[in-house]
Amino acid sequence: MQAGLLQTYNNSAQRRGAGAWIIASLLFAFYILIYFTEAFTPVAHAIGLSGKWNLYGILYTIAILSGGLYFFKRHGNSRYHRYRTISVMLVQTVFAFSIPWFMELMQTRGFIFSLFWPLKIDYFYPSYIMEYPLPVILYAILGSLIIVPIATFLFGKRWYCSWVCGCGGLAETAGEPFRHLSNKKPGAWKFEQISIHTVMLLALITSAIVLINWGLGKEVNGVMVPMYPAFSTVVFKIQGIYSFFVVALLSGVFGVALYPILGSRVWCRFFCPLAAYMGLIQKLGRFRVTVKDDMCISCGNCSTYCEMGIDVRMYAQNNIDVKRASCVGCGMCAHVCPRGVLKLENKWDPNPMAEESKIKVFDL
Amino acid sequence: MHYVIIGNGVAGINAANQLRKRDETSSITIISKESDHFFSRTALMYVLCGQMSPSDVEPYPRDHYQRMNFTRVRDEVVALSPSETSLKLSSGETIQYDRLLIASGSMARSAGWPGEELDGVGNFVTWQNLEWLTEKSRTAKKAVVVGGGLIGIEVAETLLAAGIEVTFLIREKWFWPIAMDQNEGLMIIDHMRHHGCNVRLQTEVKKIISQEEKVTGVEIGDGEIVDCDIVVATIGVVPQTGWLVESGIELDKSGGIVVGDHLETNLPNIWAAGDCTSVVWFNGIRRPEQLWYTSRDQGRIVGLNMSGDKRVYKRSTFYNSAKLFDIEYTTAGYVNFNFEGEQNWYHREPDTNRTTRITYLPDGSVTGFNMLGRRWDHRILVDWVDEKRQLDWVLQNLHIANFDEEFFPSFKIDTQALKSGVV
Repeated sequence: MQAGLLQTYNNSAQRRGAGAWIIASLLFAFYILIYFTEAFTPVAHAIGLSGKWNLYGILYTIAILSGGLYFFKRHGNSRYHRYRTISVMLVQTVFAFSIPWFMELMQTRGFIFSLFWPLKIDYFYPSYIMEYPLPVILYAILGSLIIVPIATFLFGKRWYCSWVCGCGGLAETAGEPFRHLSNKKPGAWKFEQISIHTVMLLALITSAIVLINWGLGKEVNGVMVPMYPAFSTVVFKIQGIYSFFVVALLSGVFGVALYPILGSRVWCRFFCPLAAYMGLIQKLGRFRVTVKDDMCISCGNCSTYCEMGIDVRMYAQNNIDVKRASCVGCGMCAHVCPRGVLKLENKWDPNPMAEESKIKVFDL
Repeated sequence: MHYVIIGNGVAGINAANQLRKRDETSSITIISKESDHFFSRTALMYVLCGQMSPSDVEPYPRDHYQRMNFTRVRDEVVALSPSETSLKLSSGETIQYDRLLIASGSMARSAGWPGEELDGVGNFVTWQNLEWLTEKSRTAKKAVVVGGGLIGIEVAETLLAAGIEVTFLIREKWFWPIAMDQNEGLMIIDHMRHHGCNVRLQTEVKKIISQEEKVTGVEIGDGEIVDCDIVVATIGVVPQTGWLVESGIELDKSGGIVVGDHLETNLPNIWAAGDCTSVVWFNGIRRPEQLWYTSRDQGRIVGLNMSGDKRVYKRSTFYNSAKLFDIEYTTAGYVNFNFEGEQNWYHREPDTNRTTRITYLPDGSVTGFNMLGRRWDHRILVDWVDEKRQLDWVLQNLHIANFDEEFFPSFKIDTQALKSGVV
């Protein structure tokens, strides 16, 4: 057994008991206040910070660092888990927190090098990105369109989702006590396929029309002026809607507040447009969870502790390698398997879309 | 056609699934005294220690029986009447069958200790055992676990994790001698002791000590009394076939149902599969194979045969795996059969609990692998045994079969030392 996971179900806060609902309510309230009010601005000022988002950044980093230590206590006996946890802790501290902070001290706008479009949709909004120096602009564009797909093809989306990403980083550390709460039912899988691709499509459309609108602008006395003001109004409205529903509500409020109810990867699994984009590449790429034939005892530790709600056991007991778009490669299924059946691997597959390498919602 | 399956375990449910795949219309009835849902018996310990919820250990979605149109009967079968093709249930009802599968599994071996019937003494095989031990472990302070095998170490580990003081009584000289040699078995015992488990070797229980029906301790061989509130006996399992003694079904001396190549019994339209079945092993000896994998395979084959096939159940080269506390264990081939002239190649990686043991014959061909502390791909190891690969070749290529997590310290053997054979 995995020492860190003992008594998981004996703790009410970890099985949607009263404690879980209290934590969820507090998180919900916190996110509403920070996103939609200025309640935290005086708090930030009082401790010498320039605004509420700096305060949020500090809290977020503390959550990842302390959650990371907790994770070490539970799974520190595995090198894979040690390395990737150190990675998310470092990326958060250095790239997501310190560098932008330092840039702001230098009187430039902070830039987070560990985010990519379309998770950070602003990177394809010209009004946002054009304010940065050319190397940063190139990094944002090439990173999203070249580095992300190539790295995902080679290593699976795990290189990002469970080694780099801030959202994933929080899920893997502070969200660790709740990973088993993800819904494993076939219905959740169907919902995920629809919801995540819908958000990806919305991100694409929003980015596209913002770019078109910018391309249609003309310069008058050094100021960009829209050529078709009516179109621009619509574009701004859509931009605002995306930012409210997807960025604030889904990734912020629901993504984190629902940890104790639906598990730690609600945003990543159901809504993240970058996860959807990388998921499509992952299906064609090298990454898979290899299943050792006929060794599975159907115990279900893998499925229970899959934060993405993949019914890994269904694959393992049917001798089918797991190649799922949603898999973030956290490695927990392989780690908790008492029979060493599963192994995360990057290897060439001559025929990635072969019929026998797929499993439909369930088979016998 | 009415198929009746006795037993809702891995053999029974696999047979039922195969039958339904072949035959969409016949009625299939599954009788179980133990549970409404198929669950993974090997995962009982994870429910006991709170690592999984009871429904987490069910391999199929809850609506499986509805979707597959299986009828379930929760009752105990008390008698089989082949002449009337009927079963008698403990409720007094009878069930008629056209074709019958007996997959009644195994049950805990009775220890025969005076006091064994007390409420504080139990086993860890069934769902009811799980409920009993869950209840007991809430209040128990000290436990005695008897029996140096896999279930024993799992129970010991789980009770320790629940904060209970555990004394593990092992009759033999080291842990699990049917799977481990002395080096390995003693290494595991060191590891258990390191985790705070009080292990007593070459110790047997004489009787259970109690006061007013409450267990207070066990008396061991030399008259010493070990204090405890609960005793968990994990001294093996036997086929659950007592109810068949009068039926005319042929049983072997261990109580296993004697079956032919197609898993058919000596009586018409009756098959048997899983732990209750006695099959012929590779070495010609007939005995039950009480393993998850073999029960699963037998269930799949018997389901096909009941629907008209004539498939032969042939045990492939042995393999198994386990996790002993946090030490991974993989075995492949035949490490514990003491072939004539057999020798061991044994290596323990310095300062670790990682060992490699390869058994081989005088002609150099390998017969088996016993591996601790690492993960191995049993498929490759089994192939090597089947291909009778030479020990030298195997040692040079062993890394191919390694299946450890990424970044796990890589598997290396000092080739210079390897030649001398004293790594």
